[in-house]
Amino acid sequence: MDVFHGLLSGFEVALSLHGLLFVLIGVTVGTFIGMIPGLGPITAIAVMIPITYGMDPALALLLMAGVYYGAAYGGASSSILLNAPGTSEAVATSFDGYPMAKQGKAGKALATAAIASFFGGTISIIFLTFLAPTLAKVAISFGPPEYFALMLMGLTALSSLSDGSTIKALISATIGFMIATVGIDSQTGTPRFTFGNAHLLEGIDFLVLALGLFALAEVTSLIITRKEKVGKSNTIGSLKLTKNDFKEITPTVGRQSVLGFVIGVLPGAGGTIASFLAYISEKKLSKNPDEFGKGAIRGVAAPESANNAASGGAFVPLLSLGIPGSGTTAVMLGALMVLGIQPGPLLMGDHPDVFWGVIASMYIGNILLLVLNLPLIPYISKVLKVPRPLLTSLVIVFCLIGVYGISFSTFDLFLLLGFGVLGYIMRLVHFPASPLLLAFILGGMMEQSFRQALTISNGSLSIFFTNPIACVLIIIAFASFLVPIFKTLRRKAKVDQSVDM
Amino acid sequence: MLNTTNKKTAVVLFFVSIIYLIASFKLPSYAYVPIDSNVIPIGLGVILLILSIALFFIKDEKTGEKVKLPKEDLIAILVVVGFILIYIFLLEIIGFILITALFIFFCSWFLGFKKYITNAIVSIVLPFAIYYLFEALQIQLPQGILPF
Repeated sequence: MDVFHGLLSGFEVALSLHGLLFVLIGVTVGTFIGMIPGLGPITAIAVMIPITYGMDPALALLLMAGVYYGAAYGGASSSILLNAPGTSEAVATSFDGYPMAKQGKAGKALATAAIASFFGGTISIIFLTFLAPTLAKVAISFGPPEYFALMLMGLTALSSLSDGSTIKALISATIGFMIATVGIDSQTGTPRFTFGNAHLLEGIDFLVLALGLFALAEVTSLIITRKEKVGKSNTIGSLKLTKNDFKEITPTVGRQSVLGFVIGVLPGAGGTIASFLAYISEKKLSKNPDEFGKGAIRGVAAPESANNAASGGAFVPLLSLGIPGSGTTAVMLGALMVLGIQPGPLLMGDHPDVFWGVIASMYIGNILLLVLNLPLIPYISKVLKVPRPLLTSLVIVFCLIGVYGISFSTFDLFLLLGFGVLGYIMRLVHFPASPLLLAFILGGMMEQSFRQALTISNGSLSIFFTNPIACVLIIIAFASFLVPIFKTLRRKAKVDQSVDM
Repeated sequence: MLNTTNKKTAVVLFFVSIIYLIASFKLPSYAYVPIDSNVIPIGLGVILLILSIALFFIKDEKTGEKVKLPKEDLIAILVVVGFILIYIFLLEIIGFILITALFIFFCSWFLGFKKYITNAIVSIVLPFAIYYLFEALQIQLPQGILPF
């Protein structure tokens, strides 16, 4: 079955009345689940598994695709409206999305997110359709040294390009990495920094850190401004993007979708790294990088398109090799196997209908997400009309539930509060929180790949330099430190000139 | 000598890195592992040590705006933190619905929400809605002392 034949038969299922209905249900449910912190695409798909049990696989897949996209978009909207990213993929969206919402442009931010995700998703599915078999081969050639170098590059680039002092950003990143080392070491089984506490053996959950550092710390500023009347900051603003906005985000969405897809194909990298890298590179390419972090529309478009493109990319190793590239695709793999489908090299040959069914349902899910969510934006952003004192209590409650719902331990709630305090202190002393969070997310994987690489080379660091891809990435990683140094030099030169005058 | 924020922060971080390094060196080592579990922690400890020393010697950013928190706001934040602590302590004892309702009502009231009826409705409806939504998703929140 060739590509077009396959797609056609896939669409036949997806565009039937039943098919459309299931995608619709999936997208709606997914969006709402995704908006609740703590419930991201992984939970959303996981709870769908028992529901789809015994269903026609093709329809079940449609439901899953809808839930998947819906949850990803829902996560972005809580990032934008409340600065409470529910999943690691949505963290980068909050950097500019939340400032936009604060400036009364929540509608625009949500619309940008929806449009950027749509194009990111669509571009990546098109790539997936045509490139899946070839790319699968490239992906498996990426070994531990390359991964380590890729993640190191993401980390140093974020640190050196964030606002303010690079040293402070690096300190944040180091502390984030340190927090990631808490728990049982997966190579030797040594419990590290647990101080005999059983709750720490599994390490600290991402959500505890993210909700504490971002959402709870933000609560303090909600408290400080509690007496402000519902004013400009609470309006939603127009949903419409102007021609200029489109002009601004079109190239961003284009290049970040490609980048996101490529990163998504690499197993283990996924949407988080893609969205952070997209944000960083877009900031670097921008003529006025100072706008980033203060509500730049490109700062919303870049991570959203990359994140959704990466989710498409992650399906390449899943469908063609049977290797899930991310947590979400791992759950997808489980769901597919429950339906009696074994993804892998044989899938395309044995069950072409399923393979193309998955791809067709992704197209449909993506389109319906846009169609459904654009009209929903005014309702979703009503959140901002909630009076400050009530909103503050609700955000706190959602953070607490989000964390409790994954671990069922009050210990994690105390940790959450602790990280909230840490986040607040970091704001006071002008330390950026995002390097800490990114280092925490990548830390575990970085350490693994670093040690695997050194185990391969028997302890010799030369493996990072004899390997061409890794070497180039590491050089870029260190070169990114030159950017702030140049900036300082230029500033000094300017000061000297003005003194001369 | 500790007159700037950077210097104070640097000293704190310096001690953090020392404590972390001591804890890292105490990790048990194994004979046949090429890269043991303490390698990365020791590396991170050393990096933080160096960075904290560097921070000690750089000047504070010129942002003159000293973030002075009014006493009133600080007290408000501390009271809310107190509310959160009470919430955590009582969550598994008196149950999710009851404690969440109390928390939303009193926290909003404390922060200056004057519409008591709206507040009461939200405080009662929302916990029930969340509780049953989570139950539908097969996540059981603490039931506590309520009979349903």
